[in-house]
Amino acid sequence: MRFHLLCLTLLLAVAFALATALEPWFQSWAGSRTQTDNLVQVALGDSRRLFANHFFVKADAYFHSGYYPTIYDNKEGFDTAHMVEDTRTVGQEAAEEEENFLGKPKDWLDAFSRHFYPARHTHLGDSGCGHSCCLRAKAGQGHDPNCPHKDHDRAGAPGEEREILPWLRLSASLDPQRVETYVVASFWLRSKLNKINEAEQLLREGLQANPGDCEILLELGRVYFEDRRDAARARNVWELALKNWRQRQAHTTEPNLLVYATLLNNLALLEREQKNYSRAIEHFTALKEVSPNKEGIQNWIDYLKTNAPAAAAGDRREEFPRSSDRP
Amino acid sequence: MNRVMNPVESARLPEIAPRAATVAGWKSILAIAGVVIKELYRRKDFYVLFVLTALITLIMGSVNIFNQENIVRYLKEICLFLIWAASLVISITTTARQIPAERENRTLFPLLAKPVARHQLLLGKFFGCWLASGVSLAWFYLFLGTVAGVKEHQWPVLNYCQALTLHWFMLGMVCALTLLGSIVFAAPSSNTTIMLVVTVGVLLMGRHLHKVALKLGEPSQTLLSAVYFAIPHLELFDARDLLIHNWGLIRWDIWAAGLGYGAVYSALFLMLACLLFRRQAIH
Repeated sequence: MRFHLLCLTLLLAVAFALATALEPWFQSWAGSRTQTDNLVQVALGDSRRLFANHFFVKADAYFHSGYYPTIYDNKEGFDTAHMVEDTRTVGQEAAEEEENFLGKPKDWLDAFSRHFYPARHTHLGDSGCGHSCCLRAKAGQGHDPNCPHKDHDRAGAPGEEREILPWLRLSASLDPQRVETYVVASFWLRSKLNKINEAEQLLREGLQANPGDCEILLELGRVYFEDRRDAARARNVWELALKNWRQRQAHTTEPNLLVYATLLNNLALLEREQKNYSRAIEHFTALKEVSPNKEGIQNWIDYLKTNAPAAAAGDRREEFPRSSDRP
Repeated sequence: MNRVMNPVESARLPEIAPRAATVAGWKSILAIAGVVIKELYRRKDFYVLFVLTALITLIMGSVNIFNQENIVRYLKEICLFLIWAASLVISITTTARQIPAERENRTLFPLLAKPVARHQLLLGKFFGCWLASGVSLAWFYLFLGTVAGVKEHQWPVLNYCQALTLHWFMLGMVCALTLLGSIVFAAPSSNTTIMLVVTVGVLLMGRHLHKVALKLGEPSQTLLSAVYFAIPHLELFDARDLLIHNWGLIRWDIWAAGLGYGAVYSALFLMLACLLFRRQAIH
């Protein structure tokens, strides 16, 4: 009995000694999950990034009302999420590509089964249900007066894009370092759902997780400039983004030139609108270096140099591209 | 001591007028089916799964997403996934235990001695399980329709009816297959596990088998294509995406053809089960 008690005491002492030695090491260990108070991160570790990606793709599948390729289908037309493509064609009618990953039916079962799942390419918020008549209506040809789908233009009601938001929210929660999620969610929130405050709040969350990120700052600047009509704050945010881009990406092997060019273009348009023509010319000059459309930009510079002072004096409205136009 | 019954004796129909025999046969089948349905609402499986589904759906529905109201598709997806999982569990576990339970409780002998023919017993068990699954499905879909309708302010009753009937006929195939399994496999646990694996496998892979087959060389291509055309395509009956994303109604002739496809496979599995059961010695 005494021997057993001694053994027990010895084991307890060894366990206690080991705990005092291991605990400080564990707390400072880089792989310790206790460093975060995020329950999801503790539970899933780095695998949460995989789930985040899955839910981001899920949001795109919702954007297509369930018409989405599986791993067994041809995913050529779906390499980039279409909801992301739409954020890059602001103010323009996105080119309607007839990505038909299903192809022709391979057998009678395949043909038959297509009646039981979404088998037509549509986007949320688009008119119609995907029938050929609705697609023609979308292309501007309108419905026949007797078409049974003539109400579908109205059925594709604005605001249906809200359905992608739960998956984007979940994706952002699972992987706060995934910048694309914040930008895409913010775009749909402010442009289609008129949720400006929520978009700004989300972008600020994104900035907390990714301090100084250029893409988030670019989108935040758009919130100020396009939605809040606050040019001063938009300028500050975009200039900070430009500064960060030059510090972080200018010397990398594959810099994100699209973000850089968009920032310069937006700043140039903002300065032009604020009648700071010299600053606008500076931004256009910087943009010319990276843009493939050098001639067009040079024309704008020339126009500003010759006509801008007169326009400023006469307060004449110039024919310039909108802020959303691409360089 | 176990008594071995002569399978041919017990399988033989009593010698009475054909019309009266048919009526009596259906009475026996319905009586057995009634007992199975009563078993469903006496057991707690359905209640537990229904409460769990309702609880998860309501909690998910109460989440505030960017102060945006009327977001409902994610809720329908979660709820439908839970309904599909619950219905498969209910139908497979209920069906898998029918024949083994009768054997274990020694109630199979009195049943067959009533006289109830073996095929009547199997049909009774099948209809009981199928109807019980239908009753539970109706409750699940009623709940889903109510939750979605309240949030969405749309009541596409016909779409729900189509999805429900397709789902129900799919469960009919699963019940018939499980009944066949309960005659082939010794223990209900192994039958349940195999049927769950097969069902989930067909639901996930069934649609894509031919695509995979076309990328293979011979003879794998022919073999896999043969499997593709031979298996019951349970995934045909999965109209969840149409319901979630508010697509229109399925054409009624296509819907009826789908139900017919399910009915043919159910009949095939039941016939196989009857044949095997008829030849099986009952210990």
